[in-house]
Amino acid sequence: MSWRHIYRWDLDKTYLETDFESLRRLVGIAFERPEEKVNVPGSAALLRELCRDVEGLDPSRVCIISGSPRQMRRTLEKKLEIDGVRWDEFHLKPQWENLRRGRFRALRDQVGYKLPLLLRSRRDTEDVGEAPESLFGDDAEADAFIYSLYADVLAGRVDVDALVRTLRAAGAYSDAVDASVEAARSLEHADAVERIFIHLDKRTPPAFFRAFGPRVVPVYNYFQAALVLFSGGHLGAMGVVTVTRAFLEAEGHNADSLANLFQDVVRRGHLPASAMQELGLAIQELGDVPDAAEVVWKSVQRFNDLGAARQFQAPAPPPGLDYNQLLEHVRAREHARGG
Amino acid sequence: MSDVAPDRPTTIALDCMGGDHGPVEAVAAAAHLSITRPDFHVILVGDAGEIGPALDEREYDPSCLSVRHTDQWVSMDDSPRGIFETKPQASILVACQVVSEGRADAVVTAGNTGAAILAAARGLGRIPGIRRAALAAVTPTEQTHGPNEDPFALLLDVGATLSASSRDLVTFAIMGSAYASAISSNPSPSVALLSNGTESHKGPPEVVEAHRILSELPDVQFAGNVEGLDIPRGSVDVVVTNGFMGNVVLKMLEGIGEVISDLASDAYARKFLWRFGLTMLSSGLRQIQQALDWEQYGGAPILGFAQPIIKAHGRSRSKAIGNACKVAVKAARSDMTRVIERAVAKVPGDEEGALGA
Repeated sequence: MSWRHIYRWDLDKTYLETDFESLRRLVGIAFERPEEKVNVPGSAALLRELCRDVEGLDPSRVCIISGSPRQMRRTLEKKLEIDGVRWDEFHLKPQWENLRRGRFRALRDQVGYKLPLLLRSRRDTEDVGEAPESLFGDDAEADAFIYSLYADVLAGRVDVDALVRTLRAAGAYSDAVDASVEAARSLEHADAVERIFIHLDKRTPPAFFRAFGPRVVPVYNYFQAALVLFSGGHLGAMGVVTVTRAFLEAEGHNADSLANLFQDVVRRGHLPASAMQELGLAIQELGDVPDAAEVVWKSVQRFNDLGAARQFQAPAPPPGLDYNQLLEHVRAREHARGG
Repeated sequence: MSDVAPDRPTTIALDCMGGDHGPVEAVAAAAHLSITRPDFHVILVGDAGEIGPALDEREYDPSCLSVRHTDQWVSMDDSPRGIFETKPQASILVACQVVSEGRADAVVTAGNTGAAILAAARGLGRIPGIRRAALAAVTPTEQTHGPNEDPFALLLDVGATLSASSRDLVTFAIMGSAYASAISSNPSPSVALLSNGTESHKGPPEVVEAHRILSELPDVQFAGNVEGLDIPRGSVDVVVTNGFMGNVVLKMLEGIGEVISDLASDAYARKFLWRFGLTMLSSGLRQIQQALDWEQYGGAPILGFAQPIIKAHGRSRSKAIGNACKVAVKAARSDMTRVIERAVAKVPGDEEGALGA
């Protein structure tokens, strides 16, 4: 068996609405029951659609890598079950062990935690071949950086020496550096990461992510991600309709606000003109979906409003990313935020 | 205008290209509003090649914003007369077109006033019974007005129509009254004509004639004539004059505010004792400065058109443009143009020319 696509998701601020800006909220999160946890709008609907089995196609694989402590596994797994989401891998951070061993830097470090996990996960996945990947993170920490680095190590664009330099500069502990190097050396190179979706939980201006190239797609919500995934052939028209309905019915959106979101992702160059046409035709074929059809109709209007200013950037990996510079770029933003 | 409420959120067509600072300030205003006021939407009309990158540098909520691209606009130096021929896709024309298509409820522009009036005349159409548009501005006053205790009065016309007939002055009075009523929730705003004396026979013939007509209109709370000094005192809610006089008065009031501020800064720098005195007075001075700050009043409505159009100052930064958008939303939601239409229609025998020539 091989995989039609691998989806890697972060949880906090990517899949779940999480506020750990204050100690009180942080403590509150630890005691939340599964049914009290709140999804980022559309996240459950989208992930359900992405991991849905499609007749005649290989299954997709879902790998969850969260910075939440391992003690929360039961609660988080229960939450995913309630949402009807299935997963193949679920990694949580060994925070208690970090604390016990006095590795205080590791409590906050995401690069040294996530990168070796990502590389090992890819290496250890059976029949992985050249299975393409889409990664989902957020703008709260360094997901765009970690995922881009992972993508380029996997593709063989970042060699081991550069990887070591970058991880050291990022403040990773030596065992995390060693684990990453070991995984990178034994990995079968593949230019597999198609897109890196960054949920703009903190509304970071999209221009910040230009430095990462068009492979990184900042999205304000998962309606935008669903459109881009549709254009990439990873989500069918019915999947887009399902996500659209989640926004119309549960999230207080209307056809105009969704059409605006559509235009935004087109304007920023992440959706080709052909996607509009294909989606329109596919929704027409589906027939009885007037709510989604209205969104499409208004989206066509917004699409035409952009006139000659429309431009699409294929999500190609940018040539020669300098990860030390990117690290400074990320740190400058964190500094500006007071982080 | 349709009687049926549109099946969409209140939407403002914002001409991004007209102001002195280009699209950056308009985009900053819209981006801020998208986060702080998600109850309405903004269509950014202008060059998407400039608007997009400016937007991407900011925090914004895209569900409340969209872009309508056009690569033509009217600059402050352009003569508005030929715009329909030379720049048929100018941003102000497109903004009015977006409203006339029913996709937005009001226009906001910081651009060329003449072009805005011509574009509105073509794209929005005039309210029946209104022959000439009037630009209305709020001016800070000593007395407060209406139930909200607004510290400003309405002055119109401040530049849309240089000379006005008695009929125009009367319709300006009706429009000003209706606007104050709709925007400031003032059920019965007092209205006066600006003249060189309070007596009914004072002033040029058109003012004397307008005085006579207004005195007989039951639905306008006409307070007679006021003099220039009554404007900053705020003895009435609405002051009516022609565009030439109104513009001179408005600019003079703005100039006085700026001069006072400059003088205070100068005094602060010159002597320690003055600095000490100004420091002691600082909270009071801040209040005065705030009252004189035109940026917080949110632009001037151009009254007389079938849909609201708000003209922000050409020098407007994002704060002023944002406030202009909020005024536009208020005007659209209060159905201000309908209120004016109904008020003009109530003038007895207008079809026979009772409003004068």
